[in-house]
Amino acid sequence: MAESRRAATSRRSSANRKPKKNQIPYGFVAVFLFIAVALWLNTKSSTLSLFWITGIAFGFILQKGRFCFTASMRDPYLTGSTSLTRAVIIALALTTISFTAIKYGYASAGLPIPGMSYVVPISFATLIGAFMFGVGMVIAGGCASGTLMRVGEGFYMNLLALGFFILGSLLGAHDFGWWKEHVISKGTAIFLPDVFGWMGAVLLQLGVLLILYIIAEEYEKKRGASSH
Amino acid sequence: MNEYVLDCLGEACPVPLVKAQNKLKELAIGDVLIVQIDHSCAMKNLPEWARKDGYNVEVEEVDDGEWEVIIEKNK
Repeated sequence: MAESRRAATSRRSSANRKPKKNQIPYGFVAVFLFIAVALWLNTKSSTLSLFWITGIAFGFILQKGRFCFTASMRDPYLTGSTSLTRAVIIALALTTISFTAIKYGYASAGLPIPGMSYVVPISFATLIGAFMFGVGMVIAGGCASGTLMRVGEGFYMNLLALGFFILGSLLGAHDFGWWKEHVISKGTAIFLPDVFGWMGAVLLQLGVLLILYIIAEEYEKKRGASSH
Repeated sequence: MNEYVLDCLGEACPVPLVKAQNKLKELAIGDVLIVQIDHSCAMKNLPEWARKDGYNVEVEEVDDGEWEVIIEKNK
C-alpha cells in the first residue's frame, strides 16, 4: 500500500519534470579550463598554481561532502543530529596532529615556527565575536566557506550574504586596529606547547576533542530516543 | 490520504527543515508531504531528520540542483 502510494507521487512529479540539461560538456570545459589555468599559473609561480589546485580541491570536497560548519553547530539543536559536529571534531583532530608535526619539524630544526602570528591573545572579544558570528551564519545559511561554496553552486541568497560578508569584513578590518589596541592586546597569548610541551599539548588537545566527540555521540543517542 | 506540497525553493538551510517539521505536525497519518528545495544543505538535513524520526523518505532530483523530498507520515 505504501509502496503504491509512493510510486504514485513519483509519477506525479516526473510528469511535470523539465528535461534535464546535459551538464557533461560543461564539465569537460570546466576541467579543461582548470588544467589550463593551473599550467598558466605554474609559469608565473608554482605556489600560485598550488593555491589554485588546493583551493578548488577544498571547494569540491566541501560541496560533495556537504560539509557545513554552520550545520555542525546548528543541527544538534535543530534536529538532534551530530554527524557533522563529529565530522568537524575529527577534522580538528587531524589538523591538530598535522600542524603540530609541521611546527615541531621547524622548532626541532631550530628554524622560526611558521604560523606563529596566529597565536593571539584570547579575551571576551573572542567570545562575543564568536557568538555574533554564530548568529550571523545561521541567518545567512552559511559560514565563510559555506557561503562561498553555495555561491559556486548558484544559490542566489548566499550571493547576497557574500556581499554583506565582504562589507562586514571591510568594516571589521577598518576598526580592527582600535579593538586590537584597546581590547585584544589586554589578554594573554597562550601557545600550548610552551606550557605543556609538544607531546603534552597534542595529547591535551586530542583528549578534549575526544571528550567532545563522546558528548556529541551520547547527545545524539539521547535526542534520538526522546523524539520517538 | 492527502498530498501536500511545500514550496521551499530559494529558502536557505534551516528554513526548509523547520517549515517541514511544522507542516508535518499538522498532517494526518498517511498523508504525504512533498518538500521542494534547491539548497544543497537542506538535501542533507531534511531527509536525515525525517529518517531519524522514522518516516518513509524519498529524495528525487527533479532538475539540476532542485530536489523533491517526499515524506510519508506513516505513524
